Amino acid sequence: MRRPLGPPAEALLIDEAPAPDAPCYVLRLYITGSTPHSTRAISNIRKICEEHLHGRYELEVVDISQHPSLAAGEQIIAAPTLIKKLPLPLRRFIGDMSQTDRILLGLDLRKSPEPASPAPHR
Amino acid sequence: MSSPAPTLLEENGDLRARLDEAEDALGAIRRGEVDALLVESADGPQLYTLQGQEAETNRFRGEMLAQVSDAVIAVDTDERVIYLNAAAEQLYGFAASGALGRTLAMIRGARWLHPGDEAAAKAALRDRGEWRGENIHVRHDGTELNVESGITVLRAISGRPTGMLAVVRDVTERKRHENQVLVSEIRYRRLFEAAHDGILILDPGTGRIVDANPFMTRMLGFPHSDMVGKELWEIGLLDDDAASREMVSRLKQANELRYENLPLETRDGRHRNLEIVANLYDEDGRPVIQCSIRDITERMRTEEHVKLLMAEVNHRAKNLLAVVQAVAHQTAKHGDPASFAARLSDRIEGLAASQDLLVKNQWQGIEVADVVEAQLAHFKDLIGTRVLIEGPRARLAMAAAQGIGMALHELVTNAAKYGALSNLVGKVRIAWHISSTAHPAFSMSWLEDGGPKVAPPTRNGFGQIVIGRMAEAAVEGVAEIVYRERGLSWILSAPVENMLAMVV
Repeated sequence: MRRPLGPPAEALLIDEAPAPDAPCYVLRLYITGSTPHSTRAISNIRKICEEHLHGRYELEVVDISQHPSLAAGEQIIAAPTLIKKLPLPLRRFIGDMSQTDRILLGLDLRKSPEPASPAPHR
Repeated sequence: MSSPAPTLLEENGDLRARLDEAEDALGAIRRGEVDALLVESADGPQLYTLQGQEAETNRFRGEMLAQVSDAVIAVDTDERVIYLNAAAEQLYGFAASGALGRTLAMIRGARWLHPGDEAAAKAALRDRGEWRGENIHVRHDGTELNVESGITVLRAISGRPTGMLAVVRDVTERKRHENQVLVSEIRYRRLFEAAHDGILILDPGTGRIVDANPFMTRMLGFPHSDMVGKELWEIGLLDDDAASREMVSRLKQANELRYENLPLETRDGRHRNLEIVANLYDEDGRPVIQCSIRDITERMRTEEHVKLLMAEVNHRAKNLLAVVQAVAHQTAKHGDPASFAARLSDRIEGLAASQDLLVKNQWQGIEVADVVEAQLAHFKDLIGTRVLIEGPRARLAMAAAQGIGMALHELVTNAAKYGALSNLVGKVRIAWHISSTAHPAFSMSWLEDGGPKVAPPTRNGFGQIVIGRMAEAAVEGVAEIVYRERGLSWILSAPVENMLAMVV
């Protein structure tokens, strides 16, 4: 995979009507090519977003396998890494995004851990 | 004075969050969920992959797929996009960053060309693990693309399906071109099929017919199958194979060849005249000969007919001028010079009436009654009372019509001046009949009665010549003129064949 040449991720949001009161999430996922972890991370985070942030998120997937410099300034130590840029505070999540509960918690989408969470997508 | 507690709490919360992140990172590395580590250096971040050879292989595969011109797109079992190459980004107008993780249906729609195609594709993927075929992909902006796809089910080592890999080729342009070619083919095939000229397509290499339109069959009587594979001479269009070879060789030099008038006998023995125009042209790098063949038999017949008519008109015009000349000469010779112009004009009018009838009947002869009525035009009010006309239907030949017409004109003029039509009671009876003898004769009579008393003329005027010698000459018959006291009697007889037009 490579840095995309096509239109930006915002283009995808045209037909997804945002909820007026809820905060809009800006997320960026750093991956390294089409490895199993990367592809799983993409699928898992997209699923979480569509289920919990439908219509009010912007997700950009950045492949740093060819150009690690794309990660400069983001304080990334491993890939895959998801960064919640907005709403503040900024948060980072590492791994294949299969720990749905931890991610929901970190995204402020769930206030406390629930033991009976659905099985992650692996 | 403000309390420092909230600031400390914030800092504490931030530190806790960073600690959590550090723990997360360590946990993820331990669980084997991390592909690579990034280390800051003076040259910027450096990437250290944790999967060794596998990572290298993945990178190599990714590079290869990025280079291919076909769109490559992989989805997981939920049909979420897990990979798309640069060509796929271009094809669907989607950046990988926005497309990855989304369902395929959000990236592009699909439409099937025929009912049942979708079910067939699903069955092929289920049963064989792969499908190849054509359908239509609809981009996010509504653009429809004709695509050829090859889809393979991806499996883990255990055999469990993990998703699908599609290789998609955009064939929209090719399809458009194919459609244009198809439309053009239909259009020109229809011209070829419906043409009212014969068209033959020949292979210049062999000189043999490769295609013939239906009109060729109508023209020559050969079914299509009997023409294809034959040389022109074999279907009678040229004399022999040497002529066929010569045609091809001349065509190669001149590119166009015309045979103005080729006589031909059709399969069922009809004689036709043909005109052939042969062209050598290039058909997508391959030379072909096209012969357009026109049946000019009817045109030639019409041309011949026109030629014949022109000669006939010329001949008749000369004849008529000779008659006019004779009439003028005789009119001048007999009678008062002071009335010459009036008499000549009167006689030419009589001739013209017969001429009109001849033209009207296309020189094919005139009904006797029509000749009589044309000459009696000035007395048509008397027809049926003082002028009685009777006789069977019969058609006078051209010369007879002219001779009898002139004679009747003289008789009418004479009767009006001196005879039965010069008073208020005289009558004229005009009759004709055909005798039913072994050699049938046609006779025509003019009998006057009730006019002033008649005395034979003291001198032989032109009128006498017209009703006598000229009438006899026109029908090769006999004219009998009797100057009865009670009225003139004129009887012209001749064999039927001299008098009447042949019934065609």
